[in-house]
Amino acid sequence: MFIINCPYCGPREQCEFTNGGEAHVIRPSNPEEASDKKWSEYVFFRSNPKGIYFERWVHSHGCKKWFNAVRDTSTDKIFKTYEIKDERPSLTDLENNNLTTPSGEPDVGSGNFTVKKS
Amino acid sequence: MSAQDNRNSTRIAFHQSVNFTFDGVKYTGFKGDTIASALIRNNVKIVGRSFKYHRPRGIYTCGIEEPNALVQILSEHNEPNIRATVKQIYEGLEIESQNRWPSLENDLGSITSLFSPLISAGFYNKTFMRPRGFWKKVYEPLIRKAAGLGKPPKPFKTTSTQLHHHVDIVIVGGGLSGLLALRSLAKTKLKILLIEQDSYLGGILKNSNKISTIENKNNDSWISEVEKEIEGSKNIKVLKNTLATTYNYINHLIAIEDLNTGTAPLEGNVDQILHKIRAEHIILANGHIERLVSFRNNDLPGVMLTGSFEKYIQRYGVIPEKNPVIFSNNSSSHSLIKKLVDLNCKPKAYVDSRSGDKIEPDLLEIIHKENIPLFTNAHIEGCDGGKQVQEISVRDSEGMITKLKSKMLCVSGGFNPDVHLFTQSKGVLSWDDNYLTFKPDRSYQNTIIIGSAGGLFQYSKLANDIDTKLGFLNQEPIVKIDFKLNESDNYAIEKLWETKHEKESRWSKSFIDLQNDVTTKDLRQGILEGFDRIEHLKRFTTNSMGTDQGKISSINALGIVSEILDKKVSEVGTTIYRPPYAPLSFASIAGRSTYNFYDPERKTPIHEWHKKNGAIFEDVGQWKRPWYFKNHSEENLYQAVQREALQVRKYAGVLDGSTLGKIEIKGKDALEFMNLMYTNNFSKMKPMSARYALMLGEDGMIMDDGIISKINDKHFIATTTTGGAANVLSHMEEFAQTEWPHLNVYMNSVTEQFCTFNISGPNTRLIMEKVFKNIKFDNESFPFMTFNNFDYLDSTVRILRASFTGELGYEIYVRPSIALKLWEDLFYFGKDEGLIVYGTETMHLLRAEKGYIIVGQDTDGSVTPQDMDLEWMIGKNKKDFIGKRSLTRSDTIRSDRKQLVGIRPVDQKNIIEEGQHIILSSNVKPPVKMLGHITSSYMSPNLGHSFAMAVIKDGKKLIGSKVFVSSSSNDAFEVEIINPIFIDKENKRLVS
Amino acid sequence: MKKKYSIFNIARNAFSNHENWKKMWRSPEPKKEYDVVIIGGGGHGLGTAYYLAKEHGLKNIAVIEKGWLGGGNTGRNTTIIRSNYLWDESANLYEHSLKLWEGLTHDLNYNVMFSQRGVMNLAHTEHDIKEIKRRVSANTLNGIDSKWISKEEIKKLVPIMNTDNLRYPVLGASFQPRAGTARHDTVAWGYAMRADEMGVDIIQNCEAYKILTENGKVVGVETSKGIIKSKKIGVVASGHTSVLAESAGIRLPLQSKPLQALVSEPIKPVIDTVVMSNAVHAYVSQSDKGELVIGAGTDGYNSFTQRGGFDVVEDTIRAMVELYPVFGKMKMLRQWGGIVDISPDASPIISKCDVQGLYFNCGWGTGGFKATPGSANVFAHTVAKDEPHTINSAFSLDRFVSGKLVDEHGAAAVAH
Repeated sequence: MFIINCPYCGPREQCEFTNGGEAHVIRPSNPEEASDKKWSEYVFFRSNPKGIYFERWVHSHGCKKWFNAVRDTSTDKIFKTYEIKDERPSLTDLENNNLTTPSGEPDVGSGNFTVKKS
Repeated sequence: MSAQDNRNSTRIAFHQSVNFTFDGVKYTGFKGDTIASALIRNNVKIVGRSFKYHRPRGIYTCGIEEPNALVQILSEHNEPNIRATVKQIYEGLEIESQNRWPSLENDLGSITSLFSPLISAGFYNKTFMRPRGFWKKVYEPLIRKAAGLGKPPKPFKTTSTQLHHHVDIVIVGGGLSGLLALRSLAKTKLKILLIEQDSYLGGILKNSNKISTIENKNNDSWISEVEKEIEGSKNIKVLKNTLATTYNYINHLIAIEDLNTGTAPLEGNVDQILHKIRAEHIILANGHIERLVSFRNNDLPGVMLTGSFEKYIQRYGVIPEKNPVIFSNNSSSHSLIKKLVDLNCKPKAYVDSRSGDKIEPDLLEIIHKENIPLFTNAHIEGCDGGKQVQEISVRDSEGMITKLKSKMLCVSGGFNPDVHLFTQSKGVLSWDDNYLTFKPDRSYQNTIIIGSAGGLFQYSKLANDIDTKLGFLNQEPIVKIDFKLNESDNYAIEKLWETKHEKESRWSKSFIDLQNDVTTKDLRQGILEGFDRIEHLKRFTTNSMGTDQGKISSINALGIVSEILDKKVSEVGTTIYRPPYAPLSFASIAGRSTYNFYDPERKTPIHEWHKKNGAIFEDVGQWKRPWYFKNHSEENLYQAVQREALQVRKYAGVLDGSTLGKIEIKGKDALEFMNLMYTNNFSKMKPMSARYALMLGEDGMIMDDGIISKINDKHFIATTTTGGAANVLSHMEEFAQTEWPHLNVYMNSVTEQFCTFNISGPNTRLIMEKVFKNIKFDNESFPFMTFNNFDYLDSTVRILRASFTGELGYEIYVRPSIALKLWEDLFYFGKDEGLIVYGTETMHLLRAEKGYIIVGQDTDGSVTPQDMDLEWMIGKNKKDFIGKRSLTRSDTIRSDRKQLVGIRPVDQKNIIEEGQHIILSSNVKPPVKMLGHITSSYMSPNLGHSFAMAVIKDGKKLIGSKVFVSSSSNDAFEVEIINPIFIDKENKRLVS
Repeated sequence: MKKKYSIFNIARNAFSNHENWKKMWRSPEPKKEYDVVIIGGGGHGLGTAYYLAKEHGLKNIAVIEKGWLGGGNTGRNTTIIRSNYLWDESANLYEHSLKLWEGLTHDLNYNVMFSQRGVMNLAHTEHDIKEIKRRVSANTLNGIDSKWISKEEIKKLVPIMNTDNLRYPVLGASFQPRAGTARHDTVAWGYAMRADEMGVDIIQNCEAYKILTENGKVVGVETSKGIIKSKKIGVVASGHTSVLAESAGIRLPLQSKPLQALVSEPIKPVIDTVVMSNAVHAYVSQSDKGELVIGAGTDGYNSFTQRGGFDVVEDTIRAMVELYPVFGKMKMLRQWGGIVDISPDASPIISKCDVQGLYFNCGWGTGGFKATPGSANVFAHTVAKDEPHTINSAFSLDRFVSGKLVDEHGAAAVAH
């Protein structure tokens, strides 16, 4: 169970929060003009990367506020949390985790292998 | 030849004897003994039978890594698979050996040994297939009966508790390195927690003879001095008898503390504490584990690891056998040889696989001085002796075999840093070619590893190791420690994983995993069959999958595999070390949160009244809701509901609806927000009026429903279903905060701020007029679907004219503190008007008679408003609301979707059952095409027959036609599809 | 050359000290081109290759697997097999699979230890009862052997269950007698061995980097062992499927989440059927080795670490020790996790897509193991014929556009 730094309350245990899926998903401003396909993208289709992922959390057992986070899904390391109204942070600011191939394992931190990669 | 006490041990109370029984036989040990040390004292050699071959097994080690000596504790609810090497004895302890019948000495299961060539690794996948049908009836039941180690335990209600810690530093391991680290950090004022699995601190200082003096003190004095130094320190806490089992992300440790070491558990008292520790830095000082060597019959009772033998002498005050044969491929046996010489029990022989020029001069000196027979460049070929070691075969460099008569063989195959917790922390290992083991290479979290846990086996380098790694914490540098050692400072080892059998037979075995009876032959067979990946080999052979997780043998397996495949060990890799480090009791994981504390029971303020008046409750989420009320003790559900339903429509009835969710929504943009959240158009609603509303998900399916009361455009109150309350509020918050943050709106739950009483029936107006003397309830003063606030006692109530039963009715919202008073007032004035209380089952029936849906019963997340014939609830001219767009997708605009209809049996004797399906004919031979299903079904006393609501494909068009409904007794009967409103179709009673 | 397994065969090998066993599968280097490439060497992927070779006569097939075969969810699940799903489409798919399970040991001549000991789904509230009875009715009419059993009947089948002294007492259950468990690793090994015998190349340690397309058609896949050309690619990579789909420009509605499981220490037989309780998130069976196999719910966030929070395990165990008081003195031996790809309607996606020659079999979420043979079988058909089988036609990708979901979550919310 990791620690999440709620922008409003500070660092708290992850079980106080509920995950809210992908961040920065845009709801079409004119739904009636969206095609069935475009609408389905908003309702159902989401990114699912192994690596840097922009997601939302809500502090359900705390301030009940929603916020965004940048987390590496290959190691669970959270790089940053930021308010809903903020812009998506640029990736160049974030630490590199050596995830060199799309489905590969990072050098360290996934827990899926024990011996150092040569 | 037998065991002998070593009364120099300071951790055994030799003056306090303790009586216990093992397999029905009485034995005596001393306070401080484990079951193992006490049995050793009593010369009990065989303590169990192995899993597959039922070979006799003895005590192999002196710690948590024990693979063989697992016993069942009869005096503790038959707890199975307890390590005899860890569990301390107490007066009256009753234990039993496992996996044998009829007795340990004579175990019928040992017959499997005869078939052992047939039952090598993976045999069950290649057989038990014919004849067909035998697998289920014969083979599998037999296999299951033979499987398992201990017998199932007796029922036990957990008495564990859990504690949280938030500290700066955790030190795992109170041994040499851990204590040095602790002492050097003591003055930093950091909050430190030290956890130690044994009852005493000290590690190898108390468990071995390796260190003669440290800082010019003997081991015991040094340890007590450190303990005294930290005693009374406000920022240091020491937990003994506490084992760290799991290292989670991030910087989180789980550790289990046993409160009953050496004492019998007291019924009802806390017996274990599960510690959950969050730290800034975790220092792993959990040391190393000795490993075995594989040779023929290396599993016979009488074979023990060298370090464990030494620990029995040093820590537990018993020499398991005088004059053992000692075998090693490394330098560490020196301290034991010295100890045995001191105690006048010098070893029968010393066998070292290294050549004479590689062996430490000091070690050679004592051997020559004491005339101990020495074999260099030699190894053990095997042991023989029936049920225990009698004879040991030594093979020298020329291949000549010498047989030594001895009952004890101490073996050391080298040391492995204990890397379980380190790899659980997601750190990675690397192979050390010098020490021939895996050691921590790169940490991932704030993990620091010191001492032998990190692969450091030189005492002289320990001070520097700790200083370097802890320097950043402002620790007090140690610089140098004065050691006087009973062994070499430079631990040296030469590779030796297994030795060859002199006579290769189909039955000869060298064991690698003792608990799962995996032999080195199995490893070879696995590789032959293509399982050359270590993960495949593990699953094929079950190597290291036992309760000991192969602690004394898993690295050996890797060594052997690397030799067979001619690959580097680092290329072979290891399997993942799975938490917990040692088996962790379910009771401690559950802690307090079971039985009475499993989930709260949410009750309304009227709960006690309900109980007194015959309520039978049902669970709706966490709430206890009255399901029905028993008028007398013999009345059953059916009778009660028939009675209640008649009474409500004839006179009046009241339901405690307090559990339904209530949300208050306020703000300048509340109206716009509400219009987006619900299907209805609230713009033209008059203030102080209410409307039934639907909430959809973005997929267009009905999510929840409720009544929206509009105080004004900036202030609304919404009700929800009982089970949906939390979801609806979260859903509102999500959209308000993330999608439309520009809207000035905020909301809050007021579910528990008001009780809700739903009173309805023809006599309701009379009753309300008596209870609320100053309110006008006539149609003009109080129209349907309007509400207002009124005085009541010295408080306020809100009364809304609405009802879910289709009768004239009101919903009263009242503050909890006076709710019971109002409830009792209702009955005081209503009794004479025929007022009764009713429960959820009757409520279901009454609303169904009106064709009202219940979200979650008539809906299942796959129906739209149109499907439920509620299209009129969608606000016309509404540009957007959640779910609107989804209603016009290609599948949702189909006209033949499943739609809500009413069902009536053609023959009124037939009872329609909920959940049954609508089919075309009376033929129920599968597969049968289903048109829909019955969502709600009741026997109506008001109608005089059973009726139901259903969703049927193209239902609207089918109204008037006849179909069939299946039944649970596997037949079907004819029904008619009708309009779903069964009573008062024009809704006259509601607005009367 | 076909490997025949039997007791006689074992005895023969015992005589030669088990030194003459042949490798179960080869470890070939990939060819430059294949007719079909299956990405994902788990049970579903290996099974697909098997059926492509066996039932569709295709010979030039490769299965590429980035790790060791069967090392993903196939090797990590709690082995429960059943077919008592609600909707016709799902029921048919899982029942098709169950029927294949019933003959699998003999088809593969390798004992997958399919144990038809029955699976029970408990009801703890009135709402549970309604949902379960509806499902039982649908199952019965579809010819699936599912029935409602009372509390008394439950106690006869599972004497150790505490049905009354619970926060949410047990009120009844659905029971499918033909359902049960199987040995997960062996299914993968069995399919691998027989597929390899038919000429399928199983290439381990071969990670797929990118699916290569030209003009809307599949041309190959770029891997850690070079580029492999093919006109047909089936992606069966569970949690990693979205990553690969993205490389071909296809977006899937999947989210990969951790799913945890654990075993207890082995004890003599104590429970002979599989018991599932959705209400309290507790699923348990006892393996033939004597270990209690217990499954937990998913962790609520996306992750590829195959680890989850301890709190999820706690939730399952505290329900377990209440339901089965004899578990109070049992111990957890080891815990682990997998990565499950969850679809919005908790139903799989076995489908073509907008790229010609690219097929997906994913979205099985927490329920993939039971469908292994059935899924592999219909997916092989889909790939070979470039058209879904009737059994998987409802599980197409475009159902998320039309709205024709097959929602197996159950009722959206608890009633009233």
